[in-house]
Amino acid sequence: MKRSYNFTAIAIIFVFALTFAVPAISSATGDGPMSSLKKPVNELIDILKDPKYKDKSAKDAQSEKIWPLIKGIFDFTTISKGTLGKYRKKFDKARLATFTEEFTTLLGETYLKKIQGGYQNETVKYLTEKIKETKRGPRAQVKTMLVRGSIEIPVHYNMLKVDGNWRIYDVKVEGVSLVKNYRTQFQKFLMKKNPDQLIEKVKKKAESLKQSKTEKE
Amino acid sequence: MKPVRLVRAFMPLLIFLLVFVMMTGCAARKNVADNSLSDSTISNSSDMVSEPEDDFEDEFADDDPFDSEDEQAEESTSDPLYYWNVAMHHVNDKLYFWILKPTAKGYRAVAPEQMRTGVKNFFHNLGTPIRFANCVLQGKPEKASLEFCRFIVNSTAGVLGFMDIAAKNPDLAAPSSEDFGQTLGVYGLGNGVYIVWPVFGPSSLRDTVGMSADSVLNPTSYIDGTTAVGVNAFEKVNAISFRIGDYESLKDAAIDPYEAFRDAYIQYRKKQISE
Repeated sequence: MKRSYNFTAIAIIFVFALTFAVPAISSATGDGPMSSLKKPVNELIDILKDPKYKDKSAKDAQSEKIWPLIKGIFDFTTISKGTLGKYRKKFDKARLATFTEEFTTLLGETYLKKIQGGYQNETVKYLTEKIKETKRGPRAQVKTMLVRGSIEIPVHYNMLKVDGNWRIYDVKVEGVSLVKNYRTQFQKFLMKKNPDQLIEKVKKKAESLKQSKTEKE
Repeated sequence: MKPVRLVRAFMPLLIFLLVFVMMTGCAARKNVADNSLSDSTISNSSDMVSEPEDDFEDEFADDDPFDSEDEQAEESTSDPLYYWNVAMHHVNDKLYFWILKPTAKGYRAVAPEQMRTGVKNFFHNLGTPIRFANCVLQGKPEKASLEFCRFIVNSTAGVLGFMDIAAKNPDLAAPSSEDFGQTLGVYGLGNGVYIVWPVFGPSSLRDTVGMSADSVLNPTSYIDGTTAVGVNAFEKVNAISFRIGDYESLKDAAIDPYEAFRDAYIQYRKKQISE
């Protein structure tokens, strides 16, 4: 019994995972992975709490403020590639670029809107940071805990360095990796369909989300 | 319902299930081989553009420092019950949107958070025997004694478990939960087939066996008849009242919600077993 609740827990709050990590514009070179998370996260929480965005008509202005920040700390190129896994080889350069663009929009559509509508005074506890040198450059894992009232949800960020800045390439909520979760879905899709169809599907999904959101408002 | 008698009656079935799990565990391994086969066919197909000097080529490959053994095995957890599972996935989806969510919303509106937290703590405290026994079975004496201490403190000073007094002391904060499904996982059993149960949600053959074994130690399974249904429903609604919106988040984000939940369940259990 207990387990099924916990499972709901997983019901992934990538929302928060995604949005509680926002870029520090000043995060160039000097900052470690954890501090490149901290500053922007605080900034984001401030924007979410800001009463001037409470009104529905101000939500667009709010997302315009949040979105570029998120784009700054997430490495959507690597995230998108990771979700394709071995099927990435089926995508030529142009398709990969289109896919990255559409998939980024989908993530934004899903999570940004969600967190804007559903911020429940969550706070973030920073636990540990770990940096490892690999063949492909330094990789970091920052462990955090998302606190919502009496509930705590572990959120881990995997990061790599792009042009001297730490960027997120995967988020794990309750041990569930965002990239792997999408990879499972995409791989199943690509077993039977081709890359163009996947791009179309992702695009349609983002559009339908956008539509349903505007209808509700 | 007397679970002990029930379990005894089903013992042969359980043993059969265990054997079956082990066999499907092998099947899963065979799947890995199949996968690598299909892998090579992919890389052989001629219309593919090879990627020039991609720095992140293997970002998610086996040797990723934080992802070491995560890759292959779990992605090939077999799903022979696909059609049943998809059907049950839809049943549970409707159950959530039509019944559980509205109920939990109404309940959240009338019950203050403090009370709901108390109820959550109470049921968590009742689950101590399960977690304790499984800590012992997994050879984790420290965790077992922590569970025991917490149970004593919270059942007394915490007024029958409604308050998590123990957690006020950082040394007595709740450890990650153990159950028999995890114990079997620690013993090396694979998931076996993936199963979606109505009401209970995603599970696997191994975890289903685990769940029935755990129910022997769960006080609420000794309640009779309709009261039991009521108590379990209450526990569920109370738990959901903290997480309204989470299910929707994952569902909305997915292009294939069934696969998304299946994968999430498998990843989540894998993480729990590793703790």
